[in-house]
Amino acid sequence: MQLSAYLIVSAILFTIGVIGVLVRRSPLVIFMSIELMLNAVNLSFVAFSHFLNSADGQMFVFLVLTVAAAEVVVGLAIIVSIFRTRRNIDVDEMNVLRG
Amino acid sequence: MTNLSLWVLLLPLLGFILLGILGRSLSRSIILGVAWGACGLAFACAALSFLSMLGTTPDAARTVDQQVYTWVASGAFHLNFGLLYDPLSATLLLIITGVGLLIHVYSASYMEDDPSFWRFFAYLNFFIFAMVLLVLADNFLFLLIGWGLVGLASFLLIGFWYQRQKAIMAAQKALVINIIGDVGLMLAIFLIFVNFGSLNYSDVFGKVGTAPTGVVTAICLLLFVACAAKSAQLPLYMWLPDAMEGPTPVSALIHAATMVTAGVYLVARANPLFEAAPIALNTVAAIGGATALFAATIALFQLDIKRVLAYSTISQLGYMFLGEGAHNYGAGVFHLTTHAYFKALLFLGAGAVIHALGGEQDMRKMGGLRGKMPITFATFLIAALAISGIFPFAGFWSKDEILGSMLSLAVSTGNAWYYILWGAGLLTAGLTAFYMFRLFFGIFFGTYRGGTAAAQRDDEEDETGSHHAGNVRFNAIHEVSPLMWVPLAILAVLSVIGGFVGSLAIFGAAKWHPLSGFLAPVFASVHAPSVDPSLGIEWISTALSLGLGIVGIFAAYSLYRRGFAYKENQSPAYQLVLHKYYVDEALTVLLINPILAFSRAAARFLEGDALDGGARGLAFLFRGTSNGLRRLQTGYVRNYALAILLGAVLIVVYFAVRG
Amino acid sequence: MDIATMVAFYVLAVATIASGLGVIVFKDAVHSALSLILTLIFLALFYLQLGAMFIAIVQILIYAGAIMVLFLFVVTMLAPDGDELQRDRISWQRIVGGVLGLSLVGALSYLLFTGASVSAATKAAPADGLQAVVNTQGNIEAFGQALFHGFAFPFEVTSLLIVVAILGAMVFGRRA
Repeated sequence: MQLSAYLIVSAILFTIGVIGVLVRRSPLVIFMSIELMLNAVNLSFVAFSHFLNSADGQMFVFLVLTVAAAEVVVGLAIIVSIFRTRRNIDVDEMNVLRG
Repeated sequence: MTNLSLWVLLLPLLGFILLGILGRSLSRSIILGVAWGACGLAFACAALSFLSMLGTTPDAARTVDQQVYTWVASGAFHLNFGLLYDPLSATLLLIITGVGLLIHVYSASYMEDDPSFWRFFAYLNFFIFAMVLLVLADNFLFLLIGWGLVGLASFLLIGFWYQRQKAIMAAQKALVINIIGDVGLMLAIFLIFVNFGSLNYSDVFGKVGTAPTGVVTAICLLLFVACAAKSAQLPLYMWLPDAMEGPTPVSALIHAATMVTAGVYLVARANPLFEAAPIALNTVAAIGGATALFAATIALFQLDIKRVLAYSTISQLGYMFLGEGAHNYGAGVFHLTTHAYFKALLFLGAGAVIHALGGEQDMRKMGGLRGKMPITFATFLIAALAISGIFPFAGFWSKDEILGSMLSLAVSTGNAWYYILWGAGLLTAGLTAFYMFRLFFGIFFGTYRGGTAAAQRDDEEDETGSHHAGNVRFNAIHEVSPLMWVPLAILAVLSVIGGFVGSLAIFGAAKWHPLSGFLAPVFASVHAPSVDPSLGIEWISTALSLGLGIVGIFAAYSLYRRGFAYKENQSPAYQLVLHKYYVDEALTVLLINPILAFSRAAARFLEGDALDGGARGLAFLFRGTSNGLRRLQTGYVRNYALAILLGAVLIVVYFAVRG
Repeated sequence: MDIATMVAFYVLAVATIASGLGVIVFKDAVHSALSLILTLIFLALFYLQLGAMFIAIVQILIYAGAIMVLFLFVVTMLAPDGDELQRDRISWQRIVGGVLGLSLVGALSYLLFTGASVSAATKAAPADGLQAVVNTQGNIEAFGQALFHGFAFPFEVTSLLIVVAILGAMVFGRRA
């Protein structure tokens, strides 16, 4: 398959993730959408790595994976501590920082 | 020649600084010591320098230009702080410091009850310094500085009792009108600099011939604008009667003897310029003559004794300009000196009367004081005779020199206008004698009309009356203290003998003209026949003016010898002159009200709507924008994510479109 | 073979996109999580097709195996049922978001179709490039060589990153 095919799939997945971030109100689902975005990008990295015959793409995926893991850990810890104090996790309820 | 003019300048300045800084906490005697000391020492220096000048024989050596400080040395233009001591400035210095000293002594008693005693003497010393600077400056720039400083001194002293609304307004009026004169002087200085490249008297007067007549005429007319403002000539005279709101010693010193004569001094000093511009000189004569007559007519009906004297001053200043306009600058200066004696004496005498009557200035409440205040009576009489031009008092000699020169000019040129001016001068002499003796009889003869219940009532309904009603009972009136009558006596002596330094040619002593001889080097460039009138002309003019003077005195005697009984006269002509031809009212309507209306409109529209509105509009713009932009901060994280996405999409679309 | 590759690609593409949509569509968070796991597995199959064996396995092991399990722990702990039953306060966001998303994917596709310069052929393999090593020693060796030769520093930094993340999670996790 052509490279552009993989990239289009990646773009579609990325857009799905973006829409998920914008539309859903549960922080957990938002987080999952973010993970979806990261994975879409991983796909395009691997595709490039294959088509350019270089290992750098796979390196990047490896690092992105590590960072995603760390991010998920800390993010979920934050969500949990918010839930402990506020007892609800609707993102729209956290609107104190408005002008 | 011993030239102590620098000390004459600095001593009063030192006195002013000392009194200004420390005066509040000094005792009366120390204040007087400083003030009298400064002025007295200044007079001593002036007298010593004068005597030394008399002893210097070649005329050329009598002019000394002392460079005190090099200020501007820029290319070809040099301007130094220099003092020019020559016969003209020597004469004026003697008058300023001498009469000034007498008034310093007089004020010690006159102002004894005033809480701001120290401030008065500080200002007096400041004035002496400023006037001396004006007279001694050897270039036009320092003349301008002195000119402005005497204006300032006048403002401070007119408004000395600053808690009084009228005094402040009078001081403002004086300042505003004098500023018009200052502008004229500045414009003249600009023209002088442009055309002659220098501001020193010696340079400018030496180069007069190099400039076209039109330019010199313009310069002289502008200089005369300044003189008209400072010396209260038409049309800038209105401030002088109002200036009578100041204390009487101030009126005597500044508005009679010295400051108002600055204009006469300037014309005399700039005589080479005026000689080269005949139109300007004729303007000087015409305005001088017209003012003399005009002011004399107003003085005929005034009821406030100081106002009578104020208009009399304006009238006599007109005489001085008339003399200078007839090319006889020496006569103008001569009349300046004699006028200083008798006008100061008249004002100080009036001040004595006011002081004795507890502040009363309205002539209708006076009368019969000759028994109670004999010294004042005698000196006032001498001054009145002097100003009326009666032989052999001082005014006779100076006034007749002026009128003689004017008649001589008329005869030699055959110009009808000069005859008219001479006639105006004659008529004014008669009017002067009349109103002066009306004043004299009104104060000292008849029965005392003040201190009664009727007078009290009159005071309350009279809106033009004096500021503090006197209402002293007749038996309580007494002669003033020696500090006040000794200066009166000295001035009276001067009013008697002061005229003998003039020309005695009409009595055959053709060689006796000490003052004109003394001043001759200053007026060396004046070549006009009217300076030395023929004997016949002199006799005609003198006889006529003396005759008119005597007629005036007799008219006043017949009308007022039993005292001044005021009858309300409703005829329109009388009311017109009584209200000073309604000049002030006309100016208010024509000039002041439009200006005020314009300022109010400007304040509302230009400043209120345009500037304020602009600033407020700007603030409103900012606030509106920020209010609008504030809506972006919704607090919802999802909105912020949307914004980020929007940016990203825009970038991608941009690249897509660009190809 | 080309046809097989193409069919496999299309099948995988449709499946991935469908499960991706499932992530954002399901109301229940658990269902979303399960959809995400499915997407990850399909992506791993993609990686296999692209010859990145190591990454594919790592994806399943770490991403789907560890990270998603963590997610599921938190989802079930927070019991988020009925959390989205309240009224949506900014309902216009849906429409705007949808429009923007569609324009994003449209623009990206357009760019990809017209701009990508590596669309047709694979680059020639450099002598010591990935393909050479893959052909001789296999993908994992190639990956290892690249990791420890060129990317050694980032590798060390990531270990630091993980330590920091652990510390952060512990701090947050303490009962206040």
